[in-house]
Amino acid sequence: MSRPGFSPEGLTLGAGLVALGILWTLSNLGRIDLLPVLRTWWPLSLVLWGVLELADLIVRRSRRSSR
Amino acid sequence: MSARKIGLLILLLAFGGAMEAAWSVRRDLHFGPEGCRVLGGRFDGPSYTFEQALERPVGKAPQVEVRNAFGGVRVSAGAPGVVKAHLRKVVYLPTEAKARAFSERIELLLSADGAVARVGTNRDAISRLEDVGFETHLEIEVPADSVVTVRNEHGRVDLADVAGGRIESSFDEVTAQRLARDLEVDGRHGEVTVDTLGGSLKLSAQHGNVSVRDVKGRGKLDVQHGDLTALRTGPLEISQQHGSVDAAAVAGDLVVRAGHAQVKARDVLSRADVETSFAGVELLRIGGPARARVEHGQVTAEDVGGGVTVETSYENVRLERVAGPVTITVHHGGLEGKGLAQGARVRASGADVTLDGFTGPVEVELDRGNARVSPRATIAAPITVSVQNGDAQLELPQGSRVDLEGDSRRGEIHSELPDAVVSRDERADHGPGHRLSARLGGGGIAVRVNAEGDVRLSSQTASAIAERSVAKPDLGPAAAAVAAEGQPSPGPEKTPAEAPATGSRESPRERR
Repeated sequence: MSRPGFSPEGLTLGAGLVALGILWTLSNLGRIDLLPVLRTWWPLSLVLWGVLELADLIVRRSRRSSR
Repeated sequence: MSARKIGLLILLLAFGGAMEAAWSVRRDLHFGPEGCRVLGGRFDGPSYTFEQALERPVGKAPQVEVRNAFGGVRVSAGAPGVVKAHLRKVVYLPTEAKARAFSERIELLLSADGAVARVGTNRDAISRLEDVGFETHLEIEVPADSVVTVRNEHGRVDLADVAGGRIESSFDEVTAQRLARDLEVDGRHGEVTVDTLGGSLKLSAQHGNVSVRDVKGRGKLDVQHGDLTALRTGPLEISQQHGSVDAAAVAGDLVVRAGHAQVKARDVLSRADVETSFAGVELLRIGGPARARVEHGQVTAEDVGGGVTVETSYENVRLERVAGPVTITVHHGGLEGKGLAQGARVRASGADVTLDGFTGPVEVELDRGNARVSPRATIAAPITVSVQNGDAQLELPQGSRVDLEGDSRRGEIHSELPDAVVSRDERADHGPGHRLSARLGGGGIAVRVNAEGDVRLSSQTASAIAERSVAKPDLGPAAAAVAAEGQPSPGPEKTPAEAPATGSRESPRERR
């Protein structure tokens, strides 16, 4: 079975790691306060994942209907 | 749903839950980027440093009072007539903007009213309102004739080159150097070092080692749960619990009242009086009399200019070259004595007693051990040896004029002495025994040897009681000068063993 062009969970994990690394670096530089930022914005990772899953579903349906 | 999705979901929810939990408990646990207090009262986390300086004119010989916490205090001599204070503020907040805003509320306080100057910060007022970690490090220059009082917690204290002072400190080190007059130190949970003091020293320390050197005046030291080292001092009065005492070159009396502490004293000009328990005592080159009272500990004394009095238990006593009379009481322990110039009175039990080389009267009472008495020098004073449950041996120097009586209640008398008559003694209580009586060299001095076991008598060539005379205390030039100022010296000093302290300035050690 062929997979679509992207993996939603892979993208979510990758984007989350990139975001965490950037925020942590900014915290070490004294630019932000890490804990409040993470505590406030972490649910966005769920939102991002859900959006990607929806996009993946739409892409697969459109491919199926086009066949 | 695939396993990958389930795994990612669990990962994200766990991460979010951890963030929420950390956020909710950060106030209660003092955990967070604004600085958490960890072991030793230190702060941790990102920090930013800001500085402030003030100065005020003061009168002659001012009193300077410094109060601080969570930061070091360093006081040194500066220009006359002025007190200069420099505050280094270290604020533990995650951003420089926040730290700067907070640091502007930390004020250096310096007031001078005639001959009294006060230095501190408004830390107490800030700490009561906000839970932000910050350190306040003070560097103060005062006139050299100042008397400085420092009260500090969780920060190192350095005091140098002033007239005198008083230091109360806890949870960090204390160093006082080159003070002209008296010093008083109260330290808790930190090491204390006092170097070169012109006056007296009163020191109390708990849970930290103490080092004292080159103190001209009298020292009164109370140290608990730490080791004490004292070098080149005036007379010392030491109270010590749960540590050790090492005192060297004491220009006066040394009095130690200790418990659970090993005591080692070298080169004491006058009297050494030591009490301790569950550890040993070592006294070397004591100019005056020495006294040691120990529970469960060995006692060693060498080169004592006066008499020696020892009371101990469960360990042995060793004496070498004692100029004065000796009195030993040891329970469950023995004695090894050499070169005792004025005799000895010994009561011991449970171990052997050996006296090798002595003059003066000797009286030995021993239970459950063997006694060996060898005067070496011609006998000139009475000797009495009484042994219960053991043997006795006497080596008579040739040329001694003695009336000798030997008595073995259960054993035999083995005599190698000329003109000594051994008679058999029938006793109803103890069975057969032996007695001996002899007049040697025309007689004169009473020598009695009684033992429950065998008695051995022999002669030896007369010689000196020791290979060398009693050594004088070696105080070194600095301590000898102190002794010359305050006390009569017992005699000429030997070659100095150690040069005086050079008084090198220690570079300030800052944590951050």
